[in-house]
Amino acid sequence: MAFFDTGVQAEPGSFRDPGNRVFHRHGEVLRGLDERSARDWRALAAADFFRDLLAAGKVCGTEELTPAPVDLPWAAVLRHERIPFVSHPYEWTYGMLRDAALLHLDVLRMALADGFTTKDGSAYNLQWRGATPVFIDVGSFEPARDGEPWAGYRQFCQTLLYPMLLQAHLGVDFQPWLRARIDGIEPDQIRRLFGGTRRWRPGVLTHVHLHGAMQARNARASTADVRAQLRAAGYSRELALATVRGLEKLVRRLDHRPGESYWSDYQRTCAYSVPDRQAKEEFVDRAATATAPGLVLDLGANDGRYARIAARQAGYVVAVEQDAAVADALYRALRAAGEQRVLPLVMDLADPSPGGGWRGVERAAFGDRARADLVLALAVVHHLAIGRNVPLAEVLDQFVALTAPGGSLVVEFVHPEDPMARRLLANKPDGLFPDYRREAFEPLLAARGRIVRQAELPSGTRTLYQVVVHG
Amino acid sequence: MTHLAYLDAGSGSLIVQAVVGGVAGAAVAAKLYWRRLVARFRRQPTDRS
Repeated sequence: MAFFDTGVQAEPGSFRDPGNRVFHRHGEVLRGLDERSARDWRALAAADFFRDLLAAGKVCGTEELTPAPVDLPWAAVLRHERIPFVSHPYEWTYGMLRDAALLHLDVLRMALADGFTTKDGSAYNLQWRGATPVFIDVGSFEPARDGEPWAGYRQFCQTLLYPMLLQAHLGVDFQPWLRARIDGIEPDQIRRLFGGTRRWRPGVLTHVHLHGAMQARNARASTADVRAQLRAAGYSRELALATVRGLEKLVRRLDHRPGESYWSDYQRTCAYSVPDRQAKEEFVDRAATATAPGLVLDLGANDGRYARIAARQAGYVVAVEQDAAVADALYRALRAAGEQRVLPLVMDLADPSPGGGWRGVERAAFGDRARADLVLALAVVHHLAIGRNVPLAEVLDQFVALTAPGGSLVVEFVHPEDPMARRLLANKPDGLFPDYRREAFEPLLAARGRIVRQAELPSGTRTLYQVVVHG
Repeated sequence: MTHLAYLDAGSGSLIVQAVVGGVAGAAVAAKLYWRRLVARFRRQPTDRS
């Protein structure tokens, strides 16, 4: 939505702080600041902690445009480093959410020690460079006022801490909760899940029960009054720092690892033979080398084997995996390797992230973010077509929709005789999928692009295709 | 002092941060509640008049 005549596209997810707004122009990510925010920015730019954070890559690269563009209605304009692929917290694994929370607290602790704070504490303040979290909300920093607790604590609880408590203490997947509620989980809701002895689990009594009770008791007190009362009672910056340290300690304790799932051992136990795997690796490598893609989307990434092969030739790879435990194992492996070009995400391909928040565009739908130069759909067609009953043509339509015009799609068709396909078909009534045949699949593929290469895997029951999608 | 925070920090969420801030924090919270209590008793005669 252009709001000026200057090629400016407002970022739909950036409107909650009227003092600064993110927008896009000529492929750049810019942030406009009003007078007050511009003053805060200049103080921030001169602060040691901020320079340290930038140098360590913990905050996204930011510089002020000087002189400020005269055609834009802002006191100052910042240019940000471009995040290669914007993701939402409900697409992250548990380990990602936890590391994002730790980075937020790390950033806040360094800010507080230098006389600054953050205006908010949302999980949406963080994004990823591959498996490395980065704090993006530079507009959130402001000089701290003595005697005031962190304004972002409630948001931190709702969008980061409570989802972690759900997963770590109860084994409940946090992603659907965050996907359904843009502002996260209210204390009043989560406290109902932590009755009885569960209230004694780490962090629950204070951050959940006491927090909920305090909110209810102080519902009619204005935050301005309470701030004044806390200041008068002697609340200090040391106390604010102690709270942040306490939160860090708690989050470090919440080191939940999801149990093994059916898919955890998939690469080892599935029907792949070593020659099949080698042939697939070679096919993917050749496709990536030939296309030299900027963005690769690996759909059904599993342990990330092919995502990593593609990453050797690609600018950035987004590895989408439905199983949270598998995706978390992939994240931890990538994080340990310091990988900055492969982003693992949890998402069900048959139920991709919809648009969310205000007007359904504040958080963009997955389909609106993903236009890849190369899409890998290896061993997923049968899961969607047989496992989820999606018509073959629609499966391909979705893959094509995720591919940039003129981009390439590498897709694997698992023949109905393949042991894996047979296992899926055995769970469905006989004859339910008469069109699930190679003879039906190939024309559908040819109608959507030009098949430039195909290969039979040595097992004889799987075929790989590389298709250049019609522009 | 006018504070133009864009986010409602939540009154209860501010107080609970004192409580979770260890012994010193709990003392601040206790002081806050004590002052509220005293203020209430001080106000009462004027309320009646």
